[in-house]
Amino acid sequence: MVLVLALGDMHIPHRAPDLPAKFKSMLVPGKIQHIICTGNLCIKEVHDYLKTLCPDLHISRGEYDEETRYPETKTLTIGQFKLGVCHGHQVIPWGDLDSLAMLQRQLDVDILVTGHTHQFTAYKHEGGVVINPGSATGAYSSITYDVNPSFVLMDIDGLRVVVYVYELIDGEVKVDKIDFKKTTTTTTH
Amino acid sequence: MKKKAVPEWLNSSIWSTSPAMNSTTTTTTSASASADLVHRYSPSSNPYIYDDDDVDPPAPPPPPPPPDTVRRDVRDRDPGRLGDYDRDDEGPSAEEISRQALLLTEVSKKMINIGELRRLACQGVPDNAGVRPMVWKLLLGYLPPDRSLWPSELAKKRSHYKNLKTDLLVNPSEITRRLEDSLYSDSKESKGPPIGMLKRSEIAHGEHPLSLGKSSIWNKYFQESEILEQIDRDVKRTHPDMIFFSGDSAYAKSNQDSLRNILIIFSKLNPGIRYVQGMNEVLAPLFYVFKTDPDEENTAAAEADTFFCFTELFGGFRDNFCQQLDNSNMGIRSTIARLSQLLKEHDEELWRHLEVTTKVNPQFYAFRWITLLLTMEFNFSDILRIWDFLLSDPEGPQETLLRVCCAMLILVRRHLIAGDFTSNLKLLQHYPPTNINHLLYVARRIICVLQHVILDSYSLGSVSCL
Repeated sequence: MVLVLALGDMHIPHRAPDLPAKFKSMLVPGKIQHIICTGNLCIKEVHDYLKTLCPDLHISRGEYDEETRYPETKTLTIGQFKLGVCHGHQVIPWGDLDSLAMLQRQLDVDILVTGHTHQFTAYKHEGGVVINPGSATGAYSSITYDVNPSFVLMDIDGLRVVVYVYELIDGEVKVDKIDFKKTTTTTTH
Repeated sequence: MKKKAVPEWLNSSIWSTSPAMNSTTTTTTSASASADLVHRYSPSSNPYIYDDDDVDPPAPPPPPPPPDTVRRDVRDRDPGRLGDYDRDDEGPSAEEISRQALLLTEVSKKMINIGELRRLACQGVPDNAGVRPMVWKLLLGYLPPDRSLWPSELAKKRSHYKNLKTDLLVNPSEITRRLEDSLYSDSKESKGPPIGMLKRSEIAHGEHPLSLGKSSIWNKYFQESEILEQIDRDVKRTHPDMIFFSGDSAYAKSNQDSLRNILIIFSKLNPGIRYVQGMNEVLAPLFYVFKTDPDEENTAAAEADTFFCFTELFGGFRDNFCQQLDNSNMGIRSTIARLSQLLKEHDEELWRHLEVTTKVNPQFYAFRWITLLLTMEFNFSDILRIWDFLLSDPEGPQETLLRVCCAMLILVRRHLIAGDFTSNLKLLQHYPPTNINHLLYVARRIICVLQHVILDSYSLGSVSCL
């Protein structure tokens, strides 16, 4: 039972001052084992804050990040799943699911976490699952101003993942979940 | 009123080092040489030269080097090799053999007389006969006296434990999965399209991992994780010198897992007391005895049996562990005060010296003795022997425990009276290895004297109302 937090695109301090208070009250240290951040934090203070939530932090570089040394893509293995992180501004067209699927096959991961569009999506194709946690602060994106703050918490338990989607809609936190299982047969290229 | 002097029997010659022994001591202090591998008692002809003068460990007839205690539990299971270690040519005395035989016959009867069993167990249960698990289960009331009821009782209790495990030892992911499976029994449809946006679904009862609600299973899980960590740490530290409990072997790990499970379930079932450090020490001898049962079936179910017996045993002592009751007349402070009173009644000189002259507050040493049932003061085989004595008392282990503690103090009285605060405290906090049979003999005598005192006060009372 491993809890993995996926979030990103906070754009602090340029586009938003901080995470919403209701999110911050829920995110307490000691519950989460890993954090995956798609990028665009943008400053070191946000990095430090995430570090206090959980020491195991994985970040990929977004185009506005002030820390230049984050990697473009990152892969890690948690339990039976391989996860990949990439900010997504590199994949053109932005947010296009087929192109992201190509990236996923390239990284050879079961779950790809990307951002940049500031919209939550969870998409399944035969190679795996692509999850976009959206923007944790609700900052405006290059595409739209209409953004709800959102992030994702994954509960990895053996071959099964439960993805909890937290969204702030009209000042209230709404939680949904998505269930999926990894099929044990792997696709051969 | 005559001033209360040191009782006559305390000054008897058995405590001195001179070789002229009186034969009356041999009955109860005779060797259980065949039973005890660790302490090599010389046979009854040699007097016990061990007494309170000897603080240094080498006093009893050649004790084994410490590594033996580590390997002991392995050897213990092989009674065939017993002869190698029995250096006494004379072997156990006749009374010893007959007493053990009586115990064995009592235990193998169809309808066991618990009172008789208590009386026999009080003298000690033989180590190598493999009856100790059964005796302890009978004494703790886990098994009924009627042998024919045993299979059904055991099956009932063991399945109850299994249910407890499945209910209480799961993590929240499992629980939510089960909830869903029961809600959506036609879960085959959730396969979904192989390609496409994943369907979002509602969560049940607002249950999500970051929930801060009081009734949320996730929240409760995280709050309990602190206790679980504490239990884990203590289990790993239990008896590090014994391969049964610690080390890298799979056997030790599975034993640790069992201990952990028992403590976790106990803490969940008893929210008032949860887990307190030290409960692992009280649990360890119980589990050891039940796990090393020669009966295969009992060994497999040792965890379940230990859980119920631990609950039973702990029931009498839980007030000592409850912090709110510390200062009440049921808590640990009053128990320690009772010990102090007991010492005063039996050995006023020692009591005065300890409490008044050297100001050794009994809390400094007695706290650990009482709450941990003496499991940290002696080596493992001695603990088992003392627990035979404690469990066999019909009044319950609490009273007997105080008497054994009192006996422990009296046995080292010479050193205590000669010492000051520091040396006394050091002595009592690292109690020297001692002859257990001596200790228990003294403890039994304290019972007798106490009964005399009660009788005396009755007779006085009846006189005065004339």
